[in-house]
Amino acid sequence: MDRRMFLACNAVAAIPLSGAGVAYAQSRAGNGPPIDFTSNLPAAGSFPDRWIFGSESCMDNTDPPWQVHWYNDHTAILRQNKAYSYEAPFAPLYFGNDRILLLDEGFVQLRNDCDLRGIVDATIDEWCERNDKNPERMELLVAFSHLHADHYAAVNQFAERPNTRYMGLTHEEMVGFWGMTNFPEERVSLDLGGREILIWGSPGHVVSEFAYYDSYTQILYTGDMFYRGRCYISFWEPWFDSMQRLIDFVDTHPVTHVMGCHVEISKDDEDYPYGLTYQPNEAPVQMTVQQLRDTFEFAKTVTEPGIYFTGTVFLCNQTRSMTTIDKYPYRYS
Amino acid sequence: MPQNQTYRPELSGNPQSSTSRSYPNGNPELQYNRPGVRNTDSAVPLHPAAPVIHDYASDGPAPGNIAFRWAYGSNVAAKNTDPRVQVMQYNEDSFILRQNMCVHWEAPFTYLLFGNKGALLIDNGASANPAHYPLRETVDAIVARWAKARGRTRVPLTLVMTSGEDHAQTKGLAQFAGRPDTTIAPTPLAAMQEFHGLLGKWPTGTSSIDLGDRVIQVIPTPGTHKDGLSFYDPYCDFLFTGDLLFPGKINIGNDRDFVASLERLKAFADANPVKYVMGGHIDMMFVPGQAYPRFRNYRPYERVLEMEPSLIAEALQYAREVQGRDLMLIRPDFILLNGVSPDQRTNVWPADVPQIRPPHPF
Repeated sequence: MDRRMFLACNAVAAIPLSGAGVAYAQSRAGNGPPIDFTSNLPAAGSFPDRWIFGSESCMDNTDPPWQVHWYNDHTAILRQNKAYSYEAPFAPLYFGNDRILLLDEGFVQLRNDCDLRGIVDATIDEWCERNDKNPERMELLVAFSHLHADHYAAVNQFAERPNTRYMGLTHEEMVGFWGMTNFPEERVSLDLGGREILIWGSPGHVVSEFAYYDSYTQILYTGDMFYRGRCYISFWEPWFDSMQRLIDFVDTHPVTHVMGCHVEISKDDEDYPYGLTYQPNEAPVQMTVQQLRDTFEFAKTVTEPGIYFTGTVFLCNQTRSMTTIDKYPYRYS
Repeated sequence: MPQNQTYRPELSGNPQSSTSRSYPNGNPELQYNRPGVRNTDSAVPLHPAAPVIHDYASDGPAPGNIAFRWAYGSNVAAKNTDPRVQVMQYNEDSFILRQNMCVHWEAPFTYLLFGNKGALLIDNGASANPAHYPLRETVDAIVARWAKARGRTRVPLTLVMTSGEDHAQTKGLAQFAGRPDTTIAPTPLAAMQEFHGLLGKWPTGTSSIDLGDRVIQVIPTPGTHKDGLSFYDPYCDFLFTGDLLFPGKINIGNDRDFVASLERLKAFADANPVKYVMGGHIDMMFVPGQAYPRFRNYRPYERVLEMEPSLIAEALQYAREVQGRDLMLIRPDFILLNGVSPDQRTNVWPADVPQIRPPHPF
């Protein structure tokens, strides 16, 4: 498929372009009874009391490579094991009547090291069985929040998966995948089959980043630009503008939880240093809308590069890779 | 005893020899008792009737080598299958132990030295749980095997530490509690000073631990830790420096003490033969000036452990440079961090250090 075709065939422009497309759409018909994703919103759901959090000795870790948590019947949230990758990102899996959206693929590339593909396939099979769907007729969209390897490393595991489209690893392909022409302001709508996902640009941590809003659970997924930990802000102005867009969004839309990609902070607001593989007391991944608003209010007072604790997150304004707030514990005078 | 250690494959019957002539069945022209023969296990009787007394007096450093590379963790730490304690026998009376970096990222080194009257364990690892890190079990096995070869029924063991406050070097102590015939140096500063007989002469005095014809020198070297100690082994000519000087990111605890300790160490190295400085960890990669970040449990491109003694002078020179400044300073074999975050990075790359990009692992 050339680039023009790829952009034309993106997931949002769900217009069949050829006879094959029509046949394809018809083949979807009869794929189980439709699930209603539009009544009784927000759909109830719950986060676990604690996620897998690594272990004191990595080689003695007995947790699965990815924890699969069913937030509700039609929403799974995955978390990578800290003993497989210290980044331990979270990855939501949203199910619709026709399509399934996987956001983020974790930080281990090879299937024999960490079999995300197998875990996602098993999770899809489980959901399909429960809901009388045919897994072969469900289309899988493999996307990611932003263009960093700890969020797309495993994307190649899905390369030969049938009925699957995955996001390319350039800014143009990412924006084109969602059919955007006016990044980051443009807000597009992805239809998973009765379940609507709203997507818009959220640059600042990196240029190529999106915010995803699931209208069914009303979870706002903010990637790495806002999460419980160190928000590494590479570009302040775009980040601030993205925060403004998030605030504008929560002003006009109901949001149950704001969710980031990592947790790097303890329940007692202790900073877990970069690369740590054992976080027994880590804070929950989900945040409230109020925490987002408070952070934005705090951000208005930030004028210089540096590390700021807002009460919810650490804003690392242009300090990435240069320093952290850690001190050598054995310093003496 | 000097000996020619050069391995000459063509003389050892290696058919892959670079010379055209090979001796697949041995070369009958060679003498049967070549120089190296005297320094192998054959010197120890198979079933000794009485304790074998070893002569630790040697011209120059005792022979020995670090012949293998260190285990370097794995991309997925949960799937690591390396030994939890890697044991490298440097020579018959000196062992280097290393903790698997997938058990603890600090991957500290532990040294086990034997003398005619006992054994010394310098440092003891970063994990207390014997299921994760069976240091006690490993040391017991090495001691038992050594004792059998030397015809001993008991080998008193002494545990000392390059720093009593360093969590990466003292966690294994718990495993040795209650071990018979074992002396453990206390960890609090004053008690440690009293144990080593350094009370009142800290940090300028020295003391010694006699292992039986192998007398280990104890040198106070505060600087990275306030209770820092270095040990000198006159048999192997090793200087064990712990966190004070090692191929890695050296976090300075007090720069005045750090400079003073390096000065004393340099004076000591000038007055005594030193073959290698042996630190407590490795952070550096095998390319100059670059180090692995903290918590990394996959380090396929590590620098070797041993440091040339000339690095003491270099460390001293640059320690004086960072003294009184909050600074990160890069050198080819170590990085000095004074008053900054342990994760600190810098854009200042020294002009005299070649900048080589290491290959990126999978």
